[in-house]
Amino acid sequence: MRPESAELLVLAAAALLFALVFAPAAAPRRTLLVQGGTGMVATAAIAVVPTFDLALLTIVGLGVMQAGIAGKRTLAVRLRAPVLAAAILALALVFLRVEGPDVLERFAAVGLVAGLAAAVGLFPYIHPFAPDEPVAASPIVWIAFVGPVLAAVVLSRAEGLLSVDAGQALAAMLIGLGVINMAWGSMGSWLTDDTAAAWRYSFLADWGLVLCGFGLTLSDGRRAALLMLFSIVVGRLPLYLVSREPRPERASSEGPINLVVAAVLAGSAPFVGFAARVLLLRGATQLFWPLALVLALGMLLWLPGSLRLGRSLGRPRGRLAFGVALAVAVNVAAGLYPLPLLAAAKL
Amino acid sequence: MIEGFAGFVAWLGASVVVLSDGRRGLALGAALSTLALAAIVLSDAGPVAAIAVGVGGLAAAARRLTVGVAGWGIMPPGSTPRFILCVAGGLLASWIALGVTSGHSSALRFAVITVAGLAGARVLSSDESSVLLTSVALLALAVAAASGLTEGEPAIWPYAVAAAIAAGVGWLPQSAPRAA
Repeated sequence: MRPESAELLVLAAAALLFALVFAPAAAPRRTLLVQGGTGMVATAAIAVVPTFDLALLTIVGLGVMQAGIAGKRTLAVRLRAPVLAAAILALALVFLRVEGPDVLERFAAVGLVAGLAAAVGLFPYIHPFAPDEPVAASPIVWIAFVGPVLAAVVLSRAEGLLSVDAGQALAAMLIGLGVINMAWGSMGSWLTDDTAAAWRYSFLADWGLVLCGFGLTLSDGRRAALLMLFSIVVGRLPLYLVSREPRPERASSEGPINLVVAAVLAGSAPFVGFAARVLLLRGATQLFWPLALVLALGMLLWLPGSLRLGRSLGRPRGRLAFGVALAVAVNVAAGLYPLPLLAAAKL
Repeated sequence: MIEGFAGFVAWLGASVVVLSDGRRGLALGAALSTLALAAIVLSDAGPVAAIAVGVGGLAAAARRLTVGVAGWGIMPPGSTPRFILCVAGGLLASWIALGVTSGHSSALRFAVITVAGLAGARVLSSDESSVLLTSVALLALAVAAASGLTEGEPAIWPYAVAAAIAAGVGWLPQSAPRAA
């Protein structure tokens, strides 16, 4: 297992622990532990298994198990995305393994990117979302819990299988899809009517930066991608879980804590999202400076959506306030001193 | 010769799954594809892998025979686009497997491409759980069969895991959607 995947697994375990402690009081902890633990084991299996075939089968198995959880969406809707992802990735794998013209490897690169997007739930394969569905049955599992490890595994395996030419095509597609997801997610987070849907779109926007980071093919890009994944798993996901706490008054609040949360979500200094953005812009400038300009302009789109999401937390008290403070503190620590995270992933 | 025939049967079985809405048709398609994939896997990965694929797929077919929409339901009205998909998909897969790519087993390449492609397409075109779960079983078997395309002797694990998924997916509790 690559150190990057191992680190993301540890982060996912931390997010699961956070969910168990700080999830809405009404949620049954035992069910959450069983469902989360099963998801954790399957996610670990994706990273640990020795071959790509077994990783694909694990995705199928995980999709089937999640579809079995009672939720608001139908079985067909929940099963469709992971199965489609596995089918696309399987075809990509066939194109990688057979002998043939070089163009087949480019098709394989298309399949890898499309399959990854379908599995995680990124544009153009955005998973249907039901705002009041339990988190374990919702697409948030794929975009914030399984997805980071899955992306690290798929893209690291692709590195070893693709030729230089096809690898460049893969990188270009990742950057293109990343920019589209940035724009789509941040605009959706800002403009959609439903607050829960706005949270989901915000994950999409963060993933846009992750894809751009992976696509840069420079060490700075890879580092930025890892820090953004950290921000998703240990920042945005815990805050989303806190935002789901039912409150007697649904009125939004604009206190200091809401502004701080908005700053975390927007990737402002000194939080970890800021470090990721700096690395991303530095890498993009080295590679092709107009891309850095596009990314910088796209990053401004985070602000309105993040202010909205920050307000949606209301005024957390007691246990929830502690949870928010913990998430903020971890993000500050990683933002101020990200080197241990990067060193642990050997980046 | 046998491998070539098995490749054709794999496509036929996957096509029957695409064209069927009833549980008998789905079970028949799953059984045909399973037997064909097992025959191809037998020559590539040995008898243990073939038995695993066969047992997993046939268990899925047997389960499908007991659960789902009653009857055969093969080519119901409005299934012309699905029929075109099967024919076009088969032609495209055979062109890729025989004309574009090369290697040690063209039947394996054809079977994997056609079964994975048609099963994936079927998942997109139906909301019926029995159809989806049958497609998932076939897809798992096709993914496992694809491990035979690697250099060297493929391990048994992908076949065993795929067999477990195929056999177990039919037992998935199909709970109705509910409010949170």
